[in-house]
Amino acid sequence: MSAFGDFVREAREALRQTEARFSVRQVAARIGVQPSYLSKVERGDVGPPSEATILRLAEDLSEDPDVMLALAGKVSSDLLETIRKRPRLFADLIRELRDMPDRAMLRLVREVRDGDW
Amino acid sequence: MIELKKNRLVFSFPDVHQEANLTMEFQRTLRIPDDGTDYLLPPGLGAFPLRHVDDYAQNVPESWIEHGGVMLPMYQSEAMWIAFGFGYGVNRYPFAVKIATGKINAVTGKEWQNGLNRRPQDYVVVPEQPWLDGYCVEKGVIRQFVAMPLGAGYSVEEQLTGEAEYGGIQIIAYPMKREAYERIKDRWSDAPVALASKALKVGSAKPFAMGLAPGGRMRQNIYDDTFNFEDWELEHSSRCFVHIANALVWRAITGKAPPTVPPTAKEYTKAGLPWFDLYDGDKQALEGAKGLKGIKSVLQFGKEKGDVPLPENETVDPKNVVMLRHGLRKDQVREGAF
Repeated sequence: MSAFGDFVREAREALRQTEARFSVRQVAARIGVQPSYLSKVERGDVGPPSEATILRLAEDLSEDPDVMLALAGKVSSDLLETIRKRPRLFADLIRELRDMPDRAMLRLVREVRDGDW
Repeated sequence: MIELKKNRLVFSFPDVHQEANLTMEFQRTLRIPDDGTDYLLPPGLGAFPLRHVDDYAQNVPESWIEHGGVMLPMYQSEAMWIAFGFGYGVNRYPFAVKIATGKINAVTGKEWQNGLNRRPQDYVVVPEQPWLDGYCVEKGVIRQFVAMPLGAGYSVEEQLTGEAEYGGIQIIAYPMKREAYERIKDRWSDAPVALASKALKVGSAKPFAMGLAPGGRMRQNIYDDTFNFEDWELEHSSRCFVHIANALVWRAITGKAPPTVPPTAKEYTKAGLPWFDLYDGDKQALEGAKGLKGIKSVLQFGKEKGDVPLPENETVDPKNVVMLRHGLRKDQVREGAF
């Protein structure tokens, strides 16, 4: 059992309800791993795969790559690189944002502005 | 609220429901011939690039900044369709979405109004409606969205109002009420998933703004709303103005190259690539819009003006047809088949 494995299995199984191509075998083939390995990941018998594999899996299952990386206890390498460049600033920023409501966070992410028409 | 992510508009309503997310993409496609034939569904050739108009404030007309929103590039006589999708995961929250071009409703032919109207229905219901390729001119038939220069007279806006004021695409989305979604959610989730650099000194929008005009005929139903009208959350909505820039000036505005010119229907069909047909026999379709009945297609309008607006308009006879079952997600097939 692992949060990551459970998440992958649930997402894949939900898709398999309507599309056979989301079997363990076919998903594994598309993301370039052995079916037995993907089964072990889903059961939590092994730890989460590499970042590259998680990104392929997120793409295949139409899931948010950042959410999947977080469930695997990872942070995407582009984010790490960004933080490494200005570590103190980003540490302060993340702590400041910790308790901010979702809506306010989304404004920071940047909304498409509606004007007058 | 609306965000721009990877050339998609992402509508989200966290105040209504965490699952109330909708994505919208503008797909490049073939222009189907305008020859009286009712064509099948053409493919998706990838999403048009989308940019915030505010990021290029020095290079776009003032009216675009006033309208806000985003912009995309289209060549003259290029076609597009609008794909409705969903956020990450398999939730499929229902939305009522109103689409207009030049502030003329694509479903009813009436002038833009905020809000929803049930009779006649002036919106599409997603996810039931997986895509919209054009104007609802007859029951089961649309005329394809085709870009023409604003001010040349071809756009639906100009044909119906006599003015070339807005151009572009206007969108407003209303989510289903939280309690209504919670009521239907269980059976619902079982359903198949379907910078400014050198200023251009632009005064008017017209030299490089495009409007959408009616192209060839295509078989496509606009579905009747099967929900209760009271189930729509009319207190919450998000709207967006999508400006269309002539692709020839896209680089001058953004510094980036526009997409290449898409293949013609003839080239595509000759290469044996697939067209698509959708089986949706059990669904009720809306009647054609009275307001759109009298509009002229780009070809008809051009002939009257003595223009040849569609240089490549040869009839094609698609042999490779892929049948889609309603409920399959469109991007699984129309985007990924080649």
